[in-house]
Amino acid sequence: MQFSNISKIAVVLVSLALLIAVPWIASDYFVMMCIRVMYFGMLTLSLCFLAGELGVVSLMQASFFGISGYFIAIMQTRYQIPFPIPPLVGIGVAVLFAALTGLLVIRARGIYFLMLTLVLGQLVWALASQWASVTRGDSGITDIFAPVIFGISTEKSKGAFYLFELFFFCAVIYFLAALKRSPFGLMLRGIRDSESRMAMLGYPVSLLRYMAFIFAAFVASIGGVFFAYFTGLINPHSVSLTTNVETLLSGILGGIQTLFGAILGTAILKILDLVLSGITQRYLLIMGVLFLITIMFAPRGAAGALKRLWDGFASRTLGSGSPAGGVSDDPFYEDTK
Amino acid sequence: MKRKSWIIAITVILFFIGAIAGNAMALDEIRIGTIGPTTGWATIFGQGCLDGIKLALGEYNNEFNGIPIKVFSEDTKADVEVMRTKLDSLKNRDKVHLIIGPSLGHEGMAAVDWGARNPEVPMLIGYSAPEDITMRKATNSVIRPGWTGAQVIFNFGQYSAKDLGYKKVIIVGQDYSYPWDQAAGFIRGFLENGGEKVERIWHPVEAVDFSSIMAKLIAMSKEYDAVLNNSGGAQVVAFFKQWKQFGLDKVYPQILGQANVPIVSMLSELGDSAMGVYSSLHYYDGNPSGANKKFRESFKKKYGTYPDVIAVQGYDAVHVAFKAMKAINGQVDDSKKFIAALRQVKMSADESPRGPFYFDKFANPVQNIYIKKVVKKEGRLMNEAVKTYTEVSQFGPYADMADKYMAAPATTRDYPPGDKASYFMEIEKHFGKDYVEKLKKNNGWVD
Amino acid sequence: MSLLVIMSLLNGLTLAALLFITASGLTLSFSLMRVVNLTHGALYMAGGFIGVSVIKVTGSWLLALLAGGSVMAILALLEEKFLLRWARGNDLIETLISLSVAIIIGDLVLVIWGGYPKSIEIPAMLNGVLTIPLINLVYPIFRIFMLGLSVLIIVALWLFLKKTNLGVTIRAGVDNFEMVSALGINVRRLFTVVFCLSGFLAGVAGVVGGTSMMLVVGEDWRILTLTLIVIIIGGMGSLGGTIVGALITGLIYSFATAYIPEFSLFILFLPVAIILSIRPHGLFGAKA
Repeated sequence: MQFSNISKIAVVLVSLALLIAVPWIASDYFVMMCIRVMYFGMLTLSLCFLAGELGVVSLMQASFFGISGYFIAIMQTRYQIPFPIPPLVGIGVAVLFAALTGLLVIRARGIYFLMLTLVLGQLVWALASQWASVTRGDSGITDIFAPVIFGISTEKSKGAFYLFELFFFCAVIYFLAALKRSPFGLMLRGIRDSESRMAMLGYPVSLLRYMAFIFAAFVASIGGVFFAYFTGLINPHSVSLTTNVETLLSGILGGIQTLFGAILGTAILKILDLVLSGITQRYLLIMGVLFLITIMFAPRGAAGALKRLWDGFASRTLGSGSPAGGVSDDPFYEDTK
Repeated sequence: MKRKSWIIAITVILFFIGAIAGNAMALDEIRIGTIGPTTGWATIFGQGCLDGIKLALGEYNNEFNGIPIKVFSEDTKADVEVMRTKLDSLKNRDKVHLIIGPSLGHEGMAAVDWGARNPEVPMLIGYSAPEDITMRKATNSVIRPGWTGAQVIFNFGQYSAKDLGYKKVIIVGQDYSYPWDQAAGFIRGFLENGGEKVERIWHPVEAVDFSSIMAKLIAMSKEYDAVLNNSGGAQVVAFFKQWKQFGLDKVYPQILGQANVPIVSMLSELGDSAMGVYSSLHYYDGNPSGANKKFRESFKKKYGTYPDVIAVQGYDAVHVAFKAMKAINGQVDDSKKFIAALRQVKMSADESPRGPFYFDKFANPVQNIYIKKVVKKEGRLMNEAVKTYTEVSQFGPYADMADKYMAAPATTRDYPPGDKASYFMEIEKHFGKDYVEKLKKNNGWVD
Repeated sequence: MSLLVIMSLLNGLTLAALLFITASGLTLSFSLMRVVNLTHGALYMAGGFIGVSVIKVTGSWLLALLAGGSVMAILALLEEKFLLRWARGNDLIETLISLSVAIIIGDLVLVIWGGYPKSIEIPAMLNGVLTIPLINLVYPIFRIFMLGLSVLIIVALWLFLKKTNLGVTIRAGVDNFEMVSALGINVRRLFTVVFCLSGFLAGVAGVVGGTSMMLVVGEDWRILTLTLIVIIIGGMGSLGGTIVGALITGLIYSFATAYIPEFSLFILFLPVAIILSIRPHGLFGAKA
């Protein structure tokens, strides 16, 4: 608000122009990193959208990401179905799966939600690794080729792939940002902060939460499309608990409540991964410690956001015998008020 | 709002500094990239290979004709998406002349896929064993100084049927492509040489409780002669443990193992329960050759433990690379020449701990396959060769029908069929009547 | 064939025993503190590896069992005192902290014990098989011992919760937390005790599991997932539910591996989905 509209638009335009210019000015390697950050970014975005709007942490977003990837792989390598259909079907199936699982998980809150999504995510992983006649088991499916768009092969030109992905990436961000600002987003935040009040006011609380869950899955599944096309392969690792935990880690590092945080966190994690790889074998240890420090000492980023969304949960359960009443022990209590 | 915009602006600026920076390129050095899992559960595979690579480079003082060799080691975390990124890093950021790795099966498949899209970077595959890396998906730049799953086990099937005299065998294995390949190779060797039936039991890759399978094996013991354990790593330990717990060692003769069941690192963990286990591989630790002794002793001196076949792959890969570099006078910049030279390398028994080998036209070694048995020697468990089959290619007995072999349906968890009648119908369909007639006439393969 | 059924039944029961020992600790800490301790799997694994080392030095299996349990109890104590207490009341943050501790412990185990699978020798006394002559059944003594141990733990936990002062306070804390703290009882100490006990049980389970099966890096997540399935089916926070959950999980796993091994994992997850769609809080779980 303090920032004038004109300069805001200018910042957005200049950023966009720079982003579009990347393939011409940067090395292939850098373009590749951007492509990775974008598809994993969409995965993280879906997690952060749920965390920010519903106040829940999901450990199954990678399932939607992987399902669309798997459908592309199967339809393209097995049945040679031409381009626009496999990704559309892939996204469709992922959304359908979200509609199904949403029925199961949407009643759960807080840690119940986390555990439930963890188990459902593992179910998808078990299917991917054991249903070998379809998914080729642990070896996964290779030979997926990126499509030709406007006569340019995005398989051969990384720059073209980048622009193709950038378009959808920006569209996703715009979609989520618009969703957040819309009445729908406001209602969601109302539910997050006080579900009982919203229910009393006559809002269809469960339906709204359910729809948010499906929207998040939709975003993750778009990420999965680009993942499959860019890497040219898919295997159970993409739907594993490790991928889910890494997504959570990205979200936490960047700040789980904002869209910008999701992308930033993904970028940090993917760059750290590359930097640390040559130096040390204690990648996991460093990640664990980093994760711990962020959760405990970064109130503005990750923890602050969680605290805020958690307040809603805590105040709801306060009366029903939860130990969440001990807010005075909470180190973030002072910071955020 | 204002602060947020600033943060975004700064990020964008930093992003561009990153975009334009880089691309520093040094001359006068040979850059070798290594790739494999060196963190997480699969560490032993990547690290083993890397240890072998470093040992071999040490023998050359890390230089070639006075040109220093620089090694860039990248970790895959056993994730193929990460691996592809690291391969791109090695190629674009480090500008390596050669890549050695990876070590896991699914990584190998992804690596050859990458290799086909990046044909200018020579790659020596490490421990990965899927046959398609050097068969149906073979590509010019990818050379495997290693092995394929089926290659090392064809003759074991033959040996089990002919020398051990088994008629019906049960294979218990992890449910993914590598054990399927192993089972397929075994079935071919076994059924074509007088075996009658092979039953396959697949369990989840990560299963640790085998009690139900043990129960099943007990129930099946009336009909079957022997059990072949077709797992790897932790599952082998759990399987042997429960095998003994359920007293199956009294029901069946000594267990058979697929290629990497009784490898060195496993033996110390399996203990005496591994005594007498038969298996087959292209390397055995008890090999008395000078090259193997030197390799084992210098490895032990450097790392404190005796090496595995995993380390042999890294070790041999470096020696293959050096032989090729000698042939082209160190012109590694010319990747076409380098690749061609790599494919022509022939290793003698004095040069490789595993024995002599050379590459077939798909760049997989033609090498000795040893039928090994675990024995106790100098107070330590060790594999001794009980029979050696020389110059075995990845096509095994089908070397002169390579096209037919590759055209036959891909191995799955239940292909090829495990009973003699339907198996022979299949080979008649794919390898022709003549082949079946020849088998019948010779009573199996001719050694 | 009926022999296979009997054996699968026994296998299911004994696997359930191991799962119960692991899950009981988790459900106990959950019921009191509302924390899903995602470190639990890592404690299982680390406890088992401690057992490996102790048995190498001392040769005593019992000592290994106790050491594995005790060291994990201490580790859990440190985690609770220095990390979880920091975020007390914020159960989601507590859960995330426990997740990061799990990652750290997992990697430390790799540093200390390496990536090769290890296993613990079965003590001579419990080695061998039991033969039931009438139906010609042979069954490992150690697995029967596992069953006995879990029954012992069930009884001990029951006695502890019903008959001791501390146990009664804990139960009261589970039922009505505010009341207990209002009565002036030191709640922090209660948390610490329960968390220690939970860590101890995880460590013990690790040693038992490492003896009956094996231990390897990565085992932590496998065990955690199985444990979560148990307590989700049984209902979080209910000890009786945990017994039922462990039985269901163990039996399904054992019969699925015997009859349709290719889909055993999938079949393991399926009942979770079914039960949850009918009873969102598990079979015996109270609504939070």
